[in-house]
Amino acid sequence: MTVWDPEAVDLDALPVLGIETSCDETAAAVVVGGRRVRSSVVSSQVDIHARYGGVVPEVASRAHVELLTPVIAQSLVEAGLADREVGAVAATYGPGLVGALLVGVATAKALALVWDVPFVAVNHLEAHLHAALLDDPDVELPVVVLLVSGGHTLLVAMDAPGSYEVLGGTLDDAAGEAFDKVARYLGLAYPGGPAIDAAATEGDPEAIAFPRAMIDEGLDLSFSGLKTAVINHVRRHPDVATVDVAASFQAAVVDVLMVKALRAAEQTGAKGLCLGGGVAANSLLRAEAVRRGEAAGLRVSLPSPAMCTDNAAMVAAAGWHRLVTDGPSPLDTGAVPGLSL
Amino acid sequence: MLILGIESATAQVGCAVGGHEGVLASAHSSRSRRHAESLTPSIEFVCRQARIELAELGAVAVDVGPGLFTGLRVGVATAKAVAQALRVPVIPISSLDLLAYPIRFTDRLIAAVIDARRGELFSALYRSVPGGVQRITEPRVSTPDDLRAELQAQSGDLLLVGDGAVRYRDDFRSLVRAEVVTHGLTAPSARDLVLLAHHQALREEWVQPWDVTPTYLRKPDAEISWATRDGVAGPRSGPDGRSGPG
Ligand SMILES: [Zn+2]
Repeated sequence: MTVWDPEAVDLDALPVLGIETSCDETAAAVVVGGRRVRSSVVSSQVDIHARYGGVVPEVASRAHVELLTPVIAQSLVEAGLADREVGAVAATYGPGLVGALLVGVATAKALALVWDVPFVAVNHLEAHLHAALLDDPDVELPVVVLLVSGGHTLLVAMDAPGSYEVLGGTLDDAAGEAFDKVARYLGLAYPGGPAIDAAATEGDPEAIAFPRAMIDEGLDLSFSGLKTAVINHVRRHPDVATVDVAASFQAAVVDVLMVKALRAAEQTGAKGLCLGGGVAANSLLRAEAVRRGEAAGLRVSLPSPAMCTDNAAMVAAAGWHRLVTDGPSPLDTGAVPGLSL
Repeated sequence: MLILGIESATAQVGCAVGGHEGVLASAHSSRSRRHAESLTPSIEFVCRQARIELAELGAVAVDVGPGLFTGLRVGVATAKAVAQALRVPVIPISSLDLLAYPIRFTDRLIAAVIDARRGELFSALYRSVPGGVQRITEPRVSTPDDLRAELQAQSGDLLLVGDGAVRYRDDFRSLVRAEVVTHGLTAPSARDLVLLAHHQALREEWVQPWDVTPTYLRKPDAEISWATRDGVAGPRSGPDGRSGPG
């Protein structure tokens, strides 16, 4: 590549093409200057995986190969951008499913090579943190971000874009994983998050007192005991109303998440609380974050559901920041499935 | 027309660039399972060696398998992206065709055999024709035993080529009129890919990047990423994965 010279580039006007293929969404987006979303195209594979009741890695990888070319083309068209106007190409290189990640990384590196622009490798978790800032540019730092998805449950302190500290996380299942597994056990649809959310609106959240693991200590979380408690309860009470189980389970998860998030905010002196990740689309979690967060004097940022779930706009935004601070990533970058924040 | 060839369907990864004058430059590496890391830099390298700009390419050729899924996808994704960015077509070529092509100067029947792992083989049969080889059976996946039975039924002498033939050569030893090619030609090469693709380009046998799909020959393992290791996900009931107390 031509040598990257940030002095010679109008960074604020730089359009970054973002690519996201770490799990079951094939996504591409154009974000200008790390802030202005020009397009964000997401082709969800949820329907493909629904018949298996979970994400099947090989199925996901095959779908990415098929979908990524048209998704990228559409993101450029929607952004009104000619190929040669792309200023950099950013792609998620971890964490995620290795075969799925490699499709996005290989594609991004090849595009960057041909267009002679920087390639930027992006940490998927860092991208999720940027999602909160993209939807709410007035966020006052420092904030605590509660990142909850099918793969991750993290509490992160963010002092500046690019400067994070992981405060706590799940010791076993991710919150979204617990939703999927409980939904599956209850015979609800996949994915489990929206299914439980919908069922819970009809149920009594106080019908069953499910355990709140480790609620009095620290900032780490655990959900596998809760999942087991749900299953044991249903086994012992086969006639229990599914909607009550869903509502009580959801209340327990949200309660623990909120207690930990507020404790993290208090310990770090954060001014605000941001939600991120697919579970941040959960209606009870959103309502409780506003209610309890504001009661604690925090400014609460709720990204739109489309920005909570996996998308490439957050990858492009995180990529722009990485490019500005660290410069381009090498073209021999591979996937790092176990990458942490 | 200048063609970039990308080959990463087996344990090797390679690329080459060439056209009517033949292959101008090529690179191969055998750092197995690290396809993603080395492929893009290799493309940059061969273009520099051949003293051509990427923008001069008229088509991208790619080995579309069958082969090892992860490497195969890296090659196909890279080829599609290069072609998409250059707005040029893709010439998809089978890994088995690539194995048979360099040993075309024979009157024996050629069996191209790729190690599909898990005790299976990808294979197809070829015969020589003027200027190349002609595939006479559909590519398939089978056990070494099944393939041996298939080959046994063939009349005439046989040449077996590919890493699958080498790995299972003891299984094929009982075939009386068969020989396994063990030196030099056991993996598909990016050079042959460019040469074969050039023939196709003359006939405009190419597709648009979004129409390129790998040849898998195997259904995906339906294994969910958070495997139900502790059995707490409830009893499975039927292929839709739904379960529970109902
Ligand atoms: Zn995610």
